[in-house]
Amino acid sequence: MTQKEISEKIKENFPNAEIKIIDKKQFSVLVDKEQIIPVLAFLQNIDFKELAILTAVDWIDENQFEIVYNVFSYSHYQQILVKARIDRNNPKIQSVINLWDIAKTYERDVHEFFGIEFIGNDELKPFFLHNWLDLPPMRKDFDSLAYSNEVYGKFKEERDK
Amino acid sequence: MVLEMAHGTFACATFNRDFIRGVDMLITSRNDLRDNGWERILNYFRKKSMWMLHYCTGCGAMELPPTMTSRWDMERFGIGPMATPRQADLLLVTGYLSIKSLKRVIYTYEQMQDPKWLIAFGSCPLNGGIYYDSYTVINRLALYLPIDLSIEGCMPRPEAVINGFNTLMKGIEKGTAVGYKKYKENYEWYKKNQDAILNRTKPVFDSGVKS
Repeated sequence: MTQKEISEKIKENFPNAEIKIIDKKQFSVLVDKEQIIPVLAFLQNIDFKELAILTAVDWIDENQFEIVYNVFSYSHYQQILVKARIDRNNPKIQSVINLWDIAKTYERDVHEFFGIEFIGNDELKPFFLHNWLDLPPMRKDFDSLAYSNEVYGKFKEERDK
Repeated sequence: MVLEMAHGTFACATFNRDFIRGVDMLITSRNDLRDNGWERILNYFRKKSMWMLHYCTGCGAMELPPTMTSRWDMERFGIGPMATPRQADLLLVTGYLSIKSLKRVIYTYEQMQDPKWLIAFGSCPLNGGIYYDSYTVINRLALYLPIDLSIEGCMPRPEAVINGFNTLMKGIEKGTAVGYKKYKENYEWYKKNQDAILNRTKPVFDSGVKS
């Protein structure tokens, strides 16, 4: 299938989806968070078999997190960024571990660095950070310079004096 | 590239007093711990056969293969690579040190037998380098372990590394490279700094959100 055929098919099945063409091998689909599993299951059925990455974007001004599922198909040679917006104050979304096993790792990572909860994934224990008690560090309101100064000593300011 | 032998007044004793909170360093000068007598005779032989632990933390490890192999050949100074900490004399912290690897470096350093020397390699262990504002990379190694020699640069070239080794040899011969004694004397001071980041129990900033 070409890009046009795929996007038309998505539009046909999910009329609410906002489709945006990025280039000839890539386009994005913005859907509601309730629709994320149906959309991804649908894409998996039309041969988008690989979940390349699952990540999050912090839109702090809009008070939202955007979860991005990057799926890829070798047969169509297309990449689709499936996006869903969730509330920043109550960041919860359905887990996709039943569609892709690899999502376990990605969700654990996103949970650690953004504090997003994935309903259905029980293995969200800390991954990279050592004994982390603060705000998740990839959120935009986490000031890493202030953190570094507080924890490791105010070296930067003393050096710049 | 500047090479500096960290003797005389220990930098971290005068620095960041508010960070240390309470415990002061007992010994601020290496001259108080200087090797004398029989140690000086042993040191003459020690400096000619230093075994470097092959432990790499950051990008600086890239400069060690050329230093070891035939182009610069550090073995002509009697320095060879060693696989286990218990048999090694030299520990090179080659580059940035995350909190997780700091924990391992402390284990490794404490496993090594006396006499032992620690070299901070590149700018990251000295002041954080390009990671100065990172939430997971320490800025100053001198707060957690005693540095005998620091080789500055990002990264130091093999010439600088060899030069650094030679400076360390001079320090050993003079009896001033005594970081391991300093560590023993000020164990409480170092442990307090290590615990402050490795065993934290309270969040740094009270945000109310927990990951």
